[in-house]
Amino acid sequence: MKFSGWIALSLVLFGGLAGILESGAADVFLEATRTDFQKIPLGLVGIQNAGGPEWLGGRLEEVLKADIRRSLVFSLVDLPGAGIKVRDVGPDPDPSFKGAAERGVSVIIWGKASLKTGDKDPEANMDAYVYDAGSDEMVGGKKYVGSSSVVRLMAHRFADELVFRYTGEPGIARTKIAYVSEQGAARELFVMDYDGYEPRQLTSDGFLNLMPRWSPDRRFLVFTAYRDRQSQTIDMLEVATGKRWTLAAFGGVNITPNLSPDGNFLAFASSHEGNSELYRLDTRTKALQRLTTHSAGDLSPSWSPSGRDLVFTSDRSGGPQLFLMSADGTNVRRLTFEGEYNAAPAWSPRGNWIAYVCRTKEKQYKLCVITPDGQKRVQLTTGHGVDDSPSWSPDGRHIVFSSILDGKSQIYMINVDGKDLERVTFTGVHNSAPAWSPAL
Amino acid sequence: MNTWSKALFPLTLVAGLVLFGLPGCASKSVQSEGETATVTPPPAKGPQGVNPNFPDTSLANKDASTGLRGLDRTPSEERVPGSGSMVAKMDPSQGSRQTEDIRSEQIATAAAGLRDAFFAYDSFAITDDGRDALVKDAEWARANPNAKLKIEGHCDERGTSAYNIVLGEKRAKAVRNYLVELGINANRVSVVSYGKERPFCSEHTETCYAQNRRGHVVVRTDK
Repeated sequence: MKFSGWIALSLVLFGGLAGILESGAADVFLEATRTDFQKIPLGLVGIQNAGGPEWLGGRLEEVLKADIRRSLVFSLVDLPGAGIKVRDVGPDPDPSFKGAAERGVSVIIWGKASLKTGDKDPEANMDAYVYDAGSDEMVGGKKYVGSSSVVRLMAHRFADELVFRYTGEPGIARTKIAYVSEQGAARELFVMDYDGYEPRQLTSDGFLNLMPRWSPDRRFLVFTAYRDRQSQTIDMLEVATGKRWTLAAFGGVNITPNLSPDGNFLAFASSHEGNSELYRLDTRTKALQRLTTHSAGDLSPSWSPSGRDLVFTSDRSGGPQLFLMSADGTNVRRLTFEGEYNAAPAWSPRGNWIAYVCRTKEKQYKLCVITPDGQKRVQLTTGHGVDDSPSWSPDGRHIVFSSILDGKSQIYMINVDGKDLERVTFTGVHNSAPAWSPAL
Repeated sequence: MNTWSKALFPLTLVAGLVLFGLPGCASKSVQSEGETATVTPPPAKGPQGVNPNFPDTSLANKDASTGLRGLDRTPSEERVPGSGSMVAKMDPSQGSRQTEDIRSEQIATAAAGLRDAFFAYDSFAITDDGRDALVKDAEWARANPNAKLKIEGHCDERGTSAYNIVLGEKRAKAVRNYLVELGINANRVSVVSYGKERPFCSEHTETCYAQNRRGHVVVRTDK
């Protein structure tokens, strides 16, 4: 307890100080994992098999390790190297845990799992425990129960409990990614767990559904649909029921719908009054407001975390570039000046970065991030190919995007510092337009 | 709010939004409940093209719980609900109808012998070859005055999905404008952009990219 309290406090102090020093923008939130932030060393003893198939414990360990690595809050440490016992640990902490902090381990986790076999819907159990080396005591645990289909979810829940306990922020292990997948000649909406498992098809229109984005309560997806193949509409789908609404049916292009962080406004691009312009629909009153008036194309609005500003793509200065404006359409100013093609912006939920697709000198389409004041710009991906559709994890530490890096369009994630490029989808001929859900 | 006003609240909203909806009911609720009037009044009618009845996506008044119960010193049992029930079943019949419609459109277009206009990288300017193709298409359209045409704007895979939809519309409109210049009535020519989402060719080569940068001229077969 004492230890975790200190960590939480130092995170806040460090993040706050760095935030003040680095940016004058009011829309920046504190960040726990700066590149020089010391991750909390955590050791996983193991998830012991306590009855059931042979793979059970090992699979849960794999899920937990991946979740812990992607949290970027903890670093996995080698326990035997620190003289800590990793076999036959019961519900009580092993005596070898004592004094682990002096050997460089701050948190130790362990547990057991079982799965009743033979039943039609066998029940699964996972018990897991946390030992805090700072206070040298077991600080708590969980006993998860559920059907065999939620085994992975148990590990995800436990990982989120750990992140929440040590940072006070929700973890991302239970988040989902919506995306578009080619099915025959059609492109349909799908949703999967954030680690690429449990993909499920959401639409079966037989034509095109594009560019999904989540509602802030994770209940709905908004997207572009071609209902009759002749025209686009902005549609909304309730993920749990499949219920569907057409929100806006104008002529012309109707693309890149994006709900504000409070869910009160839907920003989108429509060309029904001539060329592609940005609009804002009040989701409560259904009042529609036009935000841009320009003979060039405006599209891809993305909200700042406060909902006060929007970043968008416009080709008013020639090729596509990023622009900023207030959420009422005033105060338009250009953000990107480097390169001839900058598009598909996504504002980080922490506010400190805007991710987008930048065309390099070699005419490759890669992932870039820029600060909202335009002072700092970093190219995150390199090499050959077309990267597209960046979307932030709710913790602001990862970006999911599509790329043809391996030949076919697949979905990848990368850390905001450009490390840990990881492929997420492995099946299908064309997966694109990923949208990371908000955290629970 | 009491139970009565809770029950009437959604009705009031709906009544206000759909112009002719339940006026008696709405006025009754306003009279019987003073507090109803403090709710932001909805406009008499949503703007044209906007659905006045989709659910409010506002986060206000919603439970912001993380679903986590915290770690207990004496671990308690926690049931993990299945995520399988989270996703609805789909109706595949819509898909097969679309497939039939697309096929009949392709047959009619092939029979008419229409030609497409191709574009340079990043460009929506009609080329000399494009003009030649569209002159032929305009001849066919004049000989078939009842036919309706659809111009699909297509792009190669380079660039973002969203910007290519906008570029595809510019290409489709450039083709339509040229057909109109050639004397075809604009009412007979609709435009739609598919961006890079329905490519003719899926290799990552310039030959393939060139095939995908086009204004595809199609005979409409829908009613």
